[in-house]
Amino acid sequence: MGNLLEHMGIEKDRVHFSWISSAEATKFVDVVKEISKKVRALGPNKKLVKDYN
Amino acid sequence: MDTCINKIRELSLKLLEENEVKKVIGFAEGTIPMATSPVTITRKQDVEKLVFNSTCGLNLANYIRNQKDKIAVIAKGCDTRNIVTHIVENQVQREKLYIIGVPCNGMIDKSKIESLFEDEIIEFSEDGGKLNVKSSLKEEKLNKSDYLRKNCRLCMHKNPVIYDVLAGDLVEEQNFDNPYPDVDEIEAMNSETKWQHFEDLTKNCIRCYACRNACPICYCPTCFVDESGPQWVGKGQDKTDVNTFHFLRAFHCAGRCTDCGACVEACPMDINVRDFTRKLNKDSFEMFGWEAGLDIARRPPLDVYSPNDPDDFIK
Amino acid sequence: MADNDIKIVSFLCNWCSYGAADLAGVSRLEYPADIRVIRIPCSGRMSPKFILSALREGADAVWVSG
Repeated sequence: MGNLLEHMGIEKDRVHFSWISSAEATKFVDVVKEISKKVRALGPNKKLVKDYN
Repeated sequence: MDTCINKIRELSLKLLEENEVKKVIGFAEGTIPMATSPVTITRKQDVEKLVFNSTCGLNLANYIRNQKDKIAVIAKGCDTRNIVTHIVENQVQREKLYIIGVPCNGMIDKSKIESLFEDEIIEFSEDGGKLNVKSSLKEEKLNKSDYLRKNCRLCMHKNPVIYDVLAGDLVEEQNFDNPYPDVDEIEAMNSETKWQHFEDLTKNCIRCYACRNACPICYCPTCFVDESGPQWVGKGQDKTDVNTFHFLRAFHCAGRCTDCGACVEACPMDINVRDFTRKLNKDSFEMFGWEAGLDIARRPPLDVYSPNDPDDFIK
Repeated sequence: MADNDIKIVSFLCNWCSYGAADLAGVSRLEYPADIRVIRIPCSGRMSPKFILSALREGADAVWVSG
């Protein structure tokens, strides 16, 4: 899925997958931080967004 | 291919006469030149209607589902791959099919030929590798090899992979070092150019769903675009909706598409829908060594779990 | 929308990441407030449609976690 989105021109860092056990609160925090950093670097998404106006 | 039609008619006649099958699914001449259409033959006297030439670009595997009786189907290389996919996905039973395999030398790109003429084409005939196309203004003699469809140019499975009988001699298969040059071209672009490429590609789409209907593997009873609760995709020609439709349709074909080209063949706006599906074909080949519809005993990669499945996308 | 105001739609499995998020909260761990959590009963509930829907409705990114 990520590959096809990227192929279409949606940046790879806009879709993330991870695997965190319910005991891994610290990993959860680390992953959120990492994703947030990557997405902030990309800025807001303008592609594939439906314009309802 | 001229000789194989006699063989096809002869075989079909025999099958119907002996009551081996109730129907033969094949191609018949259409109402205008270069437009052969799928046909179901049930009576012996209609066998003469069957044709097979370089304009039979649709995929007959699309018509073999939900049949009560045993049927015969005329199948090119890609059609047989879709038949295999159907069997693997439990849409048909092998025993209820009689497959007349036709080794295929590729189908022609009709819109490319039409673009040579200013007016309507009134006559089309072919002889070996030569095409004879006539309109009221001019007549052109063309080499078939110059006017092959893009997917047929890159086809590596011209011969049927599964059949009961062959209607012609097997042809030589092509082999490429890189079977996906078109995908590489898009992959080399940056995100913005890629996005622009697909925006331009789909901007003419009229949402007629001809690509979906022509596709043999698009057989969901209710397609996601027709679902209303929730409605995933808007029905209009909004570009986000159009792109969502093409994206998700392609994604549903992941690891199943045989690149038969029926979607492009059916598209009235000449959109190369294959730009979406080809990427997934390449991925399933690179990640799973998988090409759809080659082996009746192997489950598709997205169907089964294996510890060796690539998982570098998961953190 | 300001550049520093991003939305990451997060599909978290009830039994895994949702639990981890809960634990992170109970443990008073700090993390960025960019995520909007959607609890799903299992990662198996996930569908490509959800990801596309999220992006269509204006999400800046999607995160699926089991």
